[in-house]
Amino acid sequence: MWVALGCIVFAFVFVLFVATIPGAEGQTSWRTTTFGSAVHDPSSFLKIVLDSLSFAAALFIVASGFALIFGLMRVVNMAHGAFYLLAGYIAYEVQQGMTGQGFSLQSSEVNTWEWLVPLLVAAPCIAVVGYVMQQAFLRWNQGQELRQALITIAVSVIVADQIIAHFPRNVGAGTQKFGGNAVDLTWPGWTDRFVDLHVGGVQYSLAKFVMIGIGIAVGVGLWLWLYKTKTGMVIRAGVDDEQMTSALGINIQKTFAIAFVVGCMLAALGAVVWASQSNISSGQDGQWLLNSLVVVIVGGMGSIFGAAAGAILFAFVANFGASYLPTTGSDCCTQYSSILTFVLIALVLAFRPRGLFGRGG
Amino acid sequence: MKLNLRNWKTAAVLVVISAAVAMFATGAFASSHAKVVKVAIMTDCKGAFAFGYDVDIGGAQTAFAQFAHGVTKSHAKPSAGMTGIHVGTTPIKIVGYGCGNDTVPLAVTETKRLMEKLNADVMIGPLSGDEAVYVANYAKAHPTKVFINGTAGSQDPTMQIAPKNQFRYHGDGAQWNAGIGELAYKKLGWRKAAIIMDDYSFGWTSAAGMIADFCAVGGQITKRVFPPLNTTDYAPFIRQLPPPNQVDGYFWVVGGTGTAAALKAYEQAYGKLDPKKNIGNLFFGFLGADKVVAPKVVGAYVGGFGNNPGVHYPKVDAYRAYAKKMYPAQNVDDGFFYNYYMAAKALTIGLAKSGGAVGAKLDAALPRSIDGPFQISNGGQVTLDSRRQAIQDQYQLQLVKQPNGSIAPVVVAYVPAVDQSFGGLFKPTSPPPGRTQPPCKKVKTPWQGKIKVVTNGKVTNQILK
Amino acid sequence: MNPSTWTLRQQVERGIAAVALVIVIIWPAAGWSSYWSHTILLETFIFGMAAASLVFLSAYGGMVSLAQTALFGMAGIIFGNLATKGGPGGTSKGLHLGWDPTVALIGAIVLTTMLGLIGGAVAARSAGIYFLMITLTYSVIAVYTLGQVTKISGFSGIGGINNYTPGWIGDVLAHPNRLYYVALGVTLFAYVVIRYIVRTPFGIALQGVRDEPIRAASLGFNVPLHRTLAFGFGAFLAALAGVLYAWFAGQVSPGDVDLPQTINLLIMAVIGGLVRIEGAWVGAFVFFLMQNYITSSTHVPLIGFGGTIFGGSFNTLIGIIFLAIVVVSPDGLMGLWGRLFNTRRRPKGGERTAAPATEPAN
Repeated sequence: MWVALGCIVFAFVFVLFVATIPGAEGQTSWRTTTFGSAVHDPSSFLKIVLDSLSFAAALFIVASGFALIFGLMRVVNMAHGAFYLLAGYIAYEVQQGMTGQGFSLQSSEVNTWEWLVPLLVAAPCIAVVGYVMQQAFLRWNQGQELRQALITIAVSVIVADQIIAHFPRNVGAGTQKFGGNAVDLTWPGWTDRFVDLHVGGVQYSLAKFVMIGIGIAVGVGLWLWLYKTKTGMVIRAGVDDEQMTSALGINIQKTFAIAFVVGCMLAALGAVVWASQSNISSGQDGQWLLNSLVVVIVGGMGSIFGAAAGAILFAFVANFGASYLPTTGSDCCTQYSSILTFVLIALVLAFRPRGLFGRGG
Repeated sequence: MKLNLRNWKTAAVLVVISAAVAMFATGAFASSHAKVVKVAIMTDCKGAFAFGYDVDIGGAQTAFAQFAHGVTKSHAKPSAGMTGIHVGTTPIKIVGYGCGNDTVPLAVTETKRLMEKLNADVMIGPLSGDEAVYVANYAKAHPTKVFINGTAGSQDPTMQIAPKNQFRYHGDGAQWNAGIGELAYKKLGWRKAAIIMDDYSFGWTSAAGMIADFCAVGGQITKRVFPPLNTTDYAPFIRQLPPPNQVDGYFWVVGGTGTAAALKAYEQAYGKLDPKKNIGNLFFGFLGADKVVAPKVVGAYVGGFGNNPGVHYPKVDAYRAYAKKMYPAQNVDDGFFYNYYMAAKALTIGLAKSGGAVGAKLDAALPRSIDGPFQISNGGQVTLDSRRQAIQDQYQLQLVKQPNGSIAPVVVAYVPAVDQSFGGLFKPTSPPPGRTQPPCKKVKTPWQGKIKVVTNGKVTNQILK
Repeated sequence: MNPSTWTLRQQVERGIAAVALVIVIIWPAAGWSSYWSHTILLETFIFGMAAASLVFLSAYGGMVSLAQTALFGMAGIIFGNLATKGGPGGTSKGLHLGWDPTVALIGAIVLTTMLGLIGGAVAARSAGIYFLMITLTYSVIAVYTLGQVTKISGFSGIGGINNYTPGWIGDVLAHPNRLYYVALGVTLFAYVVIRYIVRTPFGIALQGVRDEPIRAASLGFNVPLHRTLAFGFGAFLAALAGVLYAWFAGQVSPGDVDLPQTINLLIMAVIGGLVRIEGAWVGAFVFFLMQNYITSSTHVPLIGFGGTIFGGSFNTLIGIIFLAIVVVSPDGLMGLWGRLFNTRRRPKGGERTAAPATEPAN
């Protein structure tokens, strides 16, 4: 415990004060990193903090859906990533259908409506798919966690394969259709500028701020729903003690269905957001499933606050690890941060399986 | 055992399964022999290069049609098949198309399926660099089969591994970029540059060409960044690059599904991409990138692919006309198409010389020098070096807006006779390209100072200054 | 082993097993399809062993582990690093320690077992779904380690391993059947060892720990220790399979341990049945049969799936079969087989523990 605390303190001090940049001739020492310490180069530090927050926002949106489903129903929805992927491709088809060009769009060609409608189409589609899966395969074997995990794995394999067979459809002439190739969505045109932060001359992308904003909105919305509405109250009660809740005569099955659908729609929102930021392609279903798993394990299952904390932690480790881990020697660029992250996950699972902020019996 | 309904149902299920197994199993006991040369075309249909499937097959089959009387089943879809291929009196049968996904395990499965189950004598392929490393090792272990590389760009297969029954009639990833460094140094005035590359063998090999060429002229590579292939979030890696005021330009060797994502991440960090400060490898100009990526970097220089889009000479135009007639939907200037075309062409020449024999006889008969539509130097002949690797002219490109509104890569520089060793810089005993290989060294490459300017589709005599 | 005391089911099974064994042994001598013996059957032996490690942990330890593929791949990579040489004509990646292949073989198995013991120790206190997630994390760690640490692997992994076989296997090309028989022998060995271990006091205690961990602990059994040792034994089996795979495929890369491969192994084990060891090889056989005959370009009639080059065939089909088995018969094919012979109704209902109930070992 003390060792862990000591390591964290050292990491803070290193990033804030101790790191240095390579010398004029490229000399390196154990302290050398890409940017140098925060004190020496505060604008880079700020940019990386903001990068971490924006990635954390995307992670939070997707992982909160996963956390909701796992916390309430103890279902490890291994098809969460496949739903994410499906939503991304559906949104791409809709956006291409509206703007009609079949290839990567410039921001100037997309207005807000043309970004929202894909989202409004993709989310209900995924909601339907998720609802069907939950009712058909997960409703009758409550409590058999392993079996449910296996069922969701099977669904994820089928859905991922069908996605490769049928998407992307709306591509330019001469480009191959189908095959799960990479395509991307585009943010609306007004996000394509920089915001002057008036701190250290830092200019930061508005699109990323929008992403952070959406993440915060999702967090606030979820909190309001869970803590201020009756359904939310039932969900929280179900997370704490499912048997008692249904013994009190509450229709727990209806609540399960609602929570599952909301969880899937969050995956869809996350897909639209991240596909606009980066891209969508086959293979990302596995990546995002693992991302959600990591966030939820670290932060705690069933807790929205935990999902936020887990997302922030994961994003910070990924971004700061890439920029501030020492780059000495010929083995300069092994991304040990990924390995480190997952070793931490394993340890958290082993010693604090509820996660850092987890709740639930 | 009680014979109730339940047992009958499960028994029925098991009988069906056993029957299915038996059906498959009968295939196991059969064997077939024929005096036909069996060819397998290995390409990708999943993963990062899924779009290569019909392009590669189309290229190979075009050569079979032109030199071996092949008749395609569909002019729209090459993978529908081809019949009637014969060289002299020897019939050639395409026994299967391999479907990889750029990773090794599927390459293993598909190679074994094509070469052992379907008993192909010759493989044309594979598509990607890491698959080719496996196939080269496989070729070494199976000397009775012949392997002609498709379009894989890793260096190892013909430099470090170099089996005697494997041939590559096109340049590797490093060769494709020969000359781009000199272009950056002389035309754009770059002295210090950073490079970002995919962290796998093709990324390293392609980057090695850029680095070797740029450093040979006197440039400095100040930073190398390696995002893993298909990273989720490119932002941390973009941050690792030096900011634009610290370097004269960036080399981009990010491909697969990551090109657009990486460029987007850059735009969000530093604003619009300046075509004079960004050079990409072939992923900027081909494989659909002309639609997805090119709009962001119009005007930028692009590393070549061993082909010469926009160049017009009689034999080039003749090739284009024929190929377009065969498969109108394909981009016949695409290296994926052209490299498979050359591989199949070489096979037909070899079979004609060996009289239909395969194995070691075919190894000896395969041409060591072949006429290439896109080749100008050496009398238009692409020659193989002692390791059966092509010495090929290269063309460096620029993304130019076309009159019809689309953006296409167009040749601006011609680099004659590029060999795999870059004039001795890469040796069989040197480590293969990697994260820190090659080092940045000022040397004299054979084509340094001999690059010719290309304008309006014709190679001028003007040397690049 | 008195045949007259066997039940009908045991008689039928042992008869089928004997016939299958004879067929498999005489296959190369009989001159039947060498593609079958060198690919389909060989893969069945190798992956069957890896799946058997999964089934062992699930059936007798009550732990469903997704880390077996990772251990399988690590064994291959470790062997590649220990045995291959660099320089001209050598492999281009790895540490190039150039040890004698037999020594490297032992080294790889020992190191992988040790990794298994460490991993098991960390995971020993978790159960059910949490154990599944920890082992999934191990699998991801393996993927990143193999992919990122280029000194030992890198994206394309280590190749040319088929050149570094011990003398008693010799050149895989000149004597291809030797690898076949060695794999067959190791598979039989693995099967016999598993059957033996579950009858030892350790094995019985393990099953007790599986069924009632709290009661076992109160009786003085060291539950975490038993789980750790079981996990280590699973790692040992996976290591045997991993080295054989390295010789068979010749190249081991991160693509061999990623999520789709992990799920494939799980599918093999589940199709066969997570309850009985024999299910591992049955499941592996069915899986490879399908994979070899249903390629991406196969149109599957009547179902309407499949037919596009890019997908919608093998993975969809195997996913549907997997789904059907988990929903209908969670004990897989072996469970279906067992039900054929059942003289009394099996009670329907949920699981008692993390693993479906087993019948007494026979």
